[in-house]
Amino acid sequence: MYDVIIVGAGPAGLSAAIQCRKWDMNVLVIDEFPKAGGRLLGQLHQEPNGEWWNGIEETKQLTETASKLNTEIRLGISVHHVEKIDDGFLVHTNHGDFASVRLLIATGAAESAAPVPGWTLPGVMSIGAAQVMTNVHRVRVGEKGIVIGINVLSAAIAREMQLAGVDLHSMVLPAMNPVTKDHAHPKKVMDKLSRIAHLAPSAFLRFGGKVAKANIARKLATQFYPRNGMKMWGMPIHLRKAVTQINGTDHVESVTMFDVTADGKLKKGTEKRVEVDFVCIAGGLYPLTELAAVAGCPFHYSEELGGHIPVHNEEMKTPIDGLFVAGNITGIESAKVARAQGKVAGLSIAREKLKGIADLEYKVLQAMNDVRKTRNEASIQFHPGIEEGRTKMEDVFRESKKTETAL
Amino acid sequence: MDNITICRCEEVTLEDIKNTAKKYNCTAREIKLRTRAGMGYCGGRTCRPIVDTVMEHVTGEKPGDNIPLKVQPPVRPVSLSTLEGKENEK
Amino acid sequence: MKNNHRIVDHPVLGSLPEKDSITFTFDGKEYSGLAGDTIASALLANGVRTLRVHEASGKPRGIYCNIGHCFECRVTVNSTSGVRACLTEIKDGMVIESGKPEAQPFASKNVQDFPRTYAEFEKKQKVKGDK
Repeated sequence: MYDVIIVGAGPAGLSAAIQCRKWDMNVLVIDEFPKAGGRLLGQLHQEPNGEWWNGIEETKQLTETASKLNTEIRLGISVHHVEKIDDGFLVHTNHGDFASVRLLIATGAAESAAPVPGWTLPGVMSIGAAQVMTNVHRVRVGEKGIVIGINVLSAAIAREMQLAGVDLHSMVLPAMNPVTKDHAHPKKVMDKLSRIAHLAPSAFLRFGGKVAKANIARKLATQFYPRNGMKMWGMPIHLRKAVTQINGTDHVESVTMFDVTADGKLKKGTEKRVEVDFVCIAGGLYPLTELAAVAGCPFHYSEELGGHIPVHNEEMKTPIDGLFVAGNITGIESAKVARAQGKVAGLSIAREKLKGIADLEYKVLQAMNDVRKTRNEASIQFHPGIEEGRTKMEDVFRESKKTETAL
Repeated sequence: MDNITICRCEEVTLEDIKNTAKKYNCTAREIKLRTRAGMGYCGGRTCRPIVDTVMEHVTGEKPGDNIPLKVQPPVRPVSLSTLEGKENEK
Repeated sequence: MKNNHRIVDHPVLGSLPEKDSITFTFDGKEYSGLAGDTIASALLANGVRTLRVHEASGKPRGIYCNIGHCFECRVTVNSTSGVRACLTEIKDGMVIESGKPEAQPFASKNVQDFPRTYAEFEKKQKVKGDK
């Protein structure tokens, strides 16, 4: 029986494991990807101070620390169910079942799609898929491509592909449909980008910030950069062009593109065919919560945090005894925040185990402060209103505890 | 645009979902059960948010705190030999 | 045209480290990849994009999410089906098969056209074969 099983060997899971090992707990980390690091692995961007955030190096530091502490990490294993049992949890995997007193779910996020007709063709992939192929496997996803969906994540990854010498035609919007709606609306896309522009390291987002501070300026911006668009490191970003169809028989051969109005309506007679052999679709991220759901954890829907989130508090505890969460499963934020949350979770878990033996209260508080500080200083933020979302979640957790006591 | 595939695993289109909603005047959950949108091999991981958005669009049901379609184990496909414990290492 | 899709030089990540070459087959054809490659990355480096076809419609599919979530890249590896190409590292001598279309005996549009018994099904198949 393990003291704790951690599902997910990303920045949150690894840093939690390190804390637990520092307090000599019996820890097992499980991940289905063959390499540790989670989505941190593929990250590569320049910080505002000019330094590079290199996910591979950051991962190396975490895995080296973990292995110095003799942390048991099993990779390439998939968890398909977790059960609450009397004295803890039973974690079912394709390589057998493992039992633990406590469980930390740090499964990160999954990508939501912005579907465009033709998106099942080989050569069409999610933007995250391209990131892993480019930076982790070092394989070019194609000869020439286009990115559909303009947001913080896709801008960051488009830049990564450009660095690796992958040829991108441009970044454009998906055509409007009941699913893509806000992703296909130039004004709304601009609005979302500009609200986080003050944090952005890239020239692209700074541009957005300058032009779009005031509401009226935002309107002007979306109306006036139609045909020439704007450029990020030489790559055109078109908030006024949308792809209606991805064409090809056995694989991607081209996309059909239209000019759109400031509200995202197609302009007749502007149809154009762009030859590409790959397409990256970027519809944003949502917390991957399936294991928390089957474990019986209650949920709270939060648009600010990116979707349905397991109810939890700042100490990373859920209302279920012994069940903890950390990282993107608690809301879509940068890997630095996930890493800091992992530390809180690890210390929270150790505090429970060592109750009456060691006092970790102050360390937990310190780690929680560190999360707040990291959040405030984050150069990448996916959703506006993170703070509000977090505060609301604290209330929801308190309420859930009250209901529990009342019962 | 209605020919757009929503659920890749079961190849359910936006049109299929709209027609089902119209014909049976049913809840989001029932639409999923009838069309199999979100119920294929991947367990709905790829299309769950899209299906939820489409459902909101066609039925007008807003997302609540509960996850719209219950998540059921196993959350990854497993072979019977795994369930039987034949591949157990411990 | 072998492995010519590799990103060999990178301004920040540096040049691709030397790695052992690994040989495997996909649908009977021999390919080589590098140690640490997944089936998906090794095949893509060889220019192979279609990993399976949809079992009912026969439409081609390749990698989509590349991190094990979507199962679009599932292939058969050494006779085990449903293996995700994006999560599985290649090994020397691996025999990989693409996903094929499945027989669709009941793919008829109208419920009335469904055979009600196996005998009826066989009869229909025979009629189809005669055409």
